[in-house]
Amino acid sequence: MRKPQAALVLALLTIVAIGVSSCGGSGGKEGGTLHGTYASFPELDPTINFTAEGLTAMYNTYLPLYTYAHADGQAGTEVVPALAEDLPKISKDGKTYTLTLRNGLEYSDGTPVKASDFPASIERAFKLNSYGSSFYAAIVGAEKFAETKSGGIPGIEADDKSGEIVIHLTKPRGTFVNELALLYATVLPAGTPAKNLTDNPPPATGPYAITKVERGRAWSYERNPAWEKTNGELMPDLPSGHVDKIEIDVVRNKATSVNEVERGKSDWMQSILPADLYSKVKGKYEGTQFRVEYPLNTYFFWMNVSRPPFDDLKVREAVNYAVDSAALERIYSGALVATHQILPEGMPAYQAFDLYPHDMAKARTVLEEANPSDREVTVWTDNESPNDEAGAYYADALEKLGFDVTLKTINADVYFQTISNPETADLDTGWANWFPDYPHPNAYFQPNFAAENIGYTNLSHIDEPKLDAKIAKLGEEQLGPQQEDEYAEMDREVMEMAPWAPYGTNTVSTFVSSEIDLDKVIFNPTFGQDLTSFQFK
Amino acid sequence: MAGRSPWYLAYRRLRRNRVALGFGVLFALIVAFVLAAPLWANGVADTGPNATHTLERVEVDGESREVVNREGKPVGPLWFGAGGKFFLGADGRLGRDEMVRLMYGGRTSLFVGVVASLITVLLATVLGLLAGYRRGWVDTLISRALDVVWAFPVTLLAIALGLALATGGLQIGPLHLSGDSIWVPILIIGVVYTPYVARPVRGEVLALREREFVEAAVAQGAGSIRVMVRELLPNLASTLIVFFAISVANSMLLESLLSFLGVGVQPPNTSWGTMIAGGFELITSSPQLTVVPGVLLLLTVLAVNVFADGLRDALDPRAKLRLEAHAGAPEPEGHAV
Repeated sequence: MRKPQAALVLALLTIVAIGVSSCGGSGGKEGGTLHGTYASFPELDPTINFTAEGLTAMYNTYLPLYTYAHADGQAGTEVVPALAEDLPKISKDGKTYTLTLRNGLEYSDGTPVKASDFPASIERAFKLNSYGSSFYAAIVGAEKFAETKSGGIPGIEADDKSGEIVIHLTKPRGTFVNELALLYATVLPAGTPAKNLTDNPPPATGPYAITKVERGRAWSYERNPAWEKTNGELMPDLPSGHVDKIEIDVVRNKATSVNEVERGKSDWMQSILPADLYSKVKGKYEGTQFRVEYPLNTYFFWMNVSRPPFDDLKVREAVNYAVDSAALERIYSGALVATHQILPEGMPAYQAFDLYPHDMAKARTVLEEANPSDREVTVWTDNESPNDEAGAYYADALEKLGFDVTLKTINADVYFQTISNPETADLDTGWANWFPDYPHPNAYFQPNFAAENIGYTNLSHIDEPKLDAKIAKLGEEQLGPQQEDEYAEMDREVMEMAPWAPYGTNTVSTFVSSEIDLDKVIFNPTFGQDLTSFQFK
Repeated sequence: MAGRSPWYLAYRRLRRNRVALGFGVLFALIVAFVLAAPLWANGVADTGPNATHTLERVEVDGESREVVNREGKPVGPLWFGAGGKFFLGADGRLGRDEMVRLMYGGRTSLFVGVVASLITVLLATVLGLLAGYRRGWVDTLISRALDVVWAFPVTLLAIALGLALATGGLQIGPLHLSGDSIWVPILIIGVVYTPYVARPVRGEVLALREREFVEAAVAQGAGSIRVMVRELLPNLASTLIVFFAISVANSMLLESLLSFLGVGVQPPNTSWGTMIAGGFELITSSPQLTVVPGVLLLLTVLAVNVFADGLRDALDPRAKLRLEAHAGAPEPEGHAV
């Protein structure tokens, strides 16, 4: 009798152990409906959307050939294969990319994914004049297609039988794989109408498909049947998600969203917390339901180096010494992380340094050395809080430094068009921020400091041939350790020219209900919260 | 009463109206309060309306306190704990002195209210006189033009104009007003309220032009302009004064609304409307930032309105008599309705 009893006890212990292990540790509930809120309604067409909200909404719905790793922090900046079998083979001259589409993929409507869908999708981006189409203008024939909108793009060869896709570029482009991983390059069925499909989103290839849209108010997702059937198995490195259904409501009042998450009526709010509630929520829920996240961005004051007084390096240095990131951290309610360089932490090639630690006395001394004859400056900022307050702070700091300042606060909807237009009068200096389209240092230097972008994104009007040449050279090379070092060096070189007075990286937050396992929620630095990582406890 | 001028009689009637006088005094006190802004800023608070104090500390009864704490919450009202500095606390994350901004903001609000009302009354007088006296096609043209403006709800029209002009500014011939100019909301408010004054003025001119003194002036060879300026305008004075006073209150309210929505007074200028909007973000943690300018605006508008009512009663007692007669008249009897 003793042996059978011992065996019974052992069996019972094993069952209990299995039960306990399945309830805790890496466990958690599978299934359920995730209720979330957005403060605004994004365009739900991957080719058209250019907002951070839209990226989060479609990260797990529309897959390009490549995507960004479903991971937090710098790990999330890695490009990984999605619909493509592997990373592309790049020719020695850097102008030809060869890759193969995974065999057997399907869209959520059951249509097979074909290699020829890719060129059709890129053509659709050009037909729609998508913001992102410029990333693919280096493809042979793309510029002509952008003008004519007909005749196809000869630089993309696609073989439906083998699944092979060959892309020919007019010149080497070291950022091209990053650009292929953007939502603008989402593969959609050939023949998808070249119009905004937000009201009736195109079929999905990712783990979730958008099944219902009420424009401006709400949308919802369900598991993509094609993912269950084939795609999930074919793309085992991409997560399948835990919840079965996701319902998103647009709640414009952020305080209401906070309240709904606190009461458990909603499981997650996508928008940033209102400044008034930030400290309270952070203090009460940090670590359990709240977490600070670090997307890639830089907030800065630009100085127009093409006109007095900021054509003088000493003046720009003085301004850099005068700007106090600590004050700006408070203006951003503690949500800002101080920095004094171009590249943000988390970006490949980032190496921390600070050439201009805040020192008002030194700022005044340096300015007196420069002794600019023109001290009347116009400071530009937009009217969205706290950017307007950052602009007001900057205007006051320049006043204290010895300038005669006129503050111009203009509508955020037209702010960047206004300050990037060289015809605008009194473009001296002002507030701005930069969110790179993808996690690559070139996505900072090329738009902001290449002379060809004066009148667009080069707000400082910096025109340095040596810097231009270096940006162009590095832009053609694939990012490796040597290139990262060179970009880090460039970061320092640009700050020595001081066209910007950078002051920080703005954080966002993840705030979830007590039912959600916060530890498992992934925040990708490009796409934001990863909806496949949400899991009920 | 022989020898007493109508103005003197109006003054006596107004003096007897204690409620109106009380609110008139309140309005005068508010005006004095905002006019004293530089005195308070330089003599007591030792700061300007746009000076930031984000990282500074303030001594309160021997204790050092941050003007703005690490989470961005501004210091609350210190009354005289810091010698009058930050009397109403700081305005937000920039740490500007709320009291100083309240006083300067009041100057802007009153300035916008008074100047916009002057524009309204000036435009309405010219248009009302021309339409009412000339009649015919001039009347038709002016009246239909006013109808077009009238057709739009005043608030919506002002917001639409504010949105358009706050972005691109306003070009009137060689004169260019940038979008952040204080004159943009002033002009918008002045114009959108014009029909509401011009139409009653026109009606009154239509009645006056049939009176004997006008016929006498015409018989003596007076031209149209002379009749309008020398004969009709003085008789419109009491009406215009009352409309002006009411318009000041309405203009201040509209300015606040436009500024609250971001299409009125633009930074760095401040008004009570912009202060209410600025404080709204911190409504739960620092409600005084919204409540104090809101209460001052309410009191000012109330004071102007009640005083304007009293002024109307004093200047045109027949209007009051007519109202009282109407209110006290017995219901018609014996008529089937």
